[in-house]
Amino acid sequence: MMHHLTSDQLVDFIHGEFSPEEDAFAHAHLASCASCRAEADAEVALREYLRSAAAADEREMPSAIKAAIWEQIRVARPGPFAALAALLRPAIAVPLAAVVLLGGYFASPLAHRGTPPTVAASYYFEAHAVQSARSPLAERATTPVYDASASANDQTSIATAFDGGYPATAAYGGGR
Amino acid sequence: MGVPRTPLEPPTPEQAAFLERAMTQYGRATYNFAFRLTGNEADARDLTQDAFIRVYRAWRSFQPGTSFLSWIYRIVTNLYRDELRRRKGRFQEEIPEDNAPQEFGGERPLATNPIDDYVDRQIGEPLSKALADLSPDQRQVVILADIEEYSYQEIAEIMGCSIGTVRSRLHRARALLRRLVERAQQQQT
Repeated sequence: MMHHLTSDQLVDFIHGEFSPEEDAFAHAHLASCASCRAEADAEVALREYLRSAAAADEREMPSAIKAAIWEQIRVARPGPFAALAALLRPAIAVPLAAVVLLGGYFASPLAHRGTPPTVAASYYFEAHAVQSARSPLAERATTPVYDASASANDQTSIATAFDGGYPATAAYGGGR
Repeated sequence: MGVPRTPLEPPTPEQAAFLERAMTQYGRATYNFAFRLTGNEADARDLTQDAFIRVYRAWRSFQPGTSFLSWIYRIVTNLYRDELRRRKGRFQEEIPEDNAPQEFGGERPLATNPIDDYVDRQIGEPLSKALADLSPDQRQVVILADIEEYSYQEIAEIMGCSIGTVRSRLHRARALLRRLVERAQQQQT
């Protein structure tokens, strides 16, 4: 073998980074070249030194590290995404969706397609007149509760609303 | 060491089991790797802790069937590099105190407690002393190639560099180590 191996080549060689052909060449060369063999031995000795020193200095992981890691995790709070994900659990998501849908329905014009109940102004005058007739000494008339199911012009329903809705007022007015 | 970017989420049972298994099985190796890298116990503790927190966060990104140790070594490598960069930036802004920065040739050890430093130096002999004279990148290549026995290809993946870079770093590191060892032997005789 004509060419000596460089230190860098020997480093690659002892780390097993040579191709099979290079490896065969190196082995053959080292068998016949004392200076390269000495150099290779020095590289191997350095590796052995590093390994034995590391093995002698091998240490356990301090238990405090593990404890500190678990402690850091124990105090963890869910972030905004986790909170959102928690809301998507079926036990919460289904009732929530129902509430949102119902709320949306009642808020939308779909829920108010019929004509809204209206109260004719004359209703108040008539109700007042009825009350004044019953208890003329009352200082002021009390407007009875308007029954939305009844027609505003239906005198019977006004009387019913008045008598049934405000018995206390009637008794109070009558007592004076 | 590093400040977490986002708050930690409470663990799922699978996540907690994954972390526990990882720490039991690889905690020792990770801690020793971190210790050889930093050269002192205080920083090795911080680095190991941060690495496992990173494992906890990213546990789903671990691909079963691949080497967990290579994965966590890559995490430790990145954290250590970030930390060195952060501290280097901070030291450059500082007014040098007495002989502190010069004493360590611009690369100040990460530990700041003098007692820790002293104790670590006693325990860490002689390997830490030899490795302390290398640059962080050289030190890491030597640890991975000679102590952990990784191939150049694996080291390149762990360190995120090319095989050529691994090779040249290892060559330079070993040349330097040989000179240091020879000098130490001459001083002893």
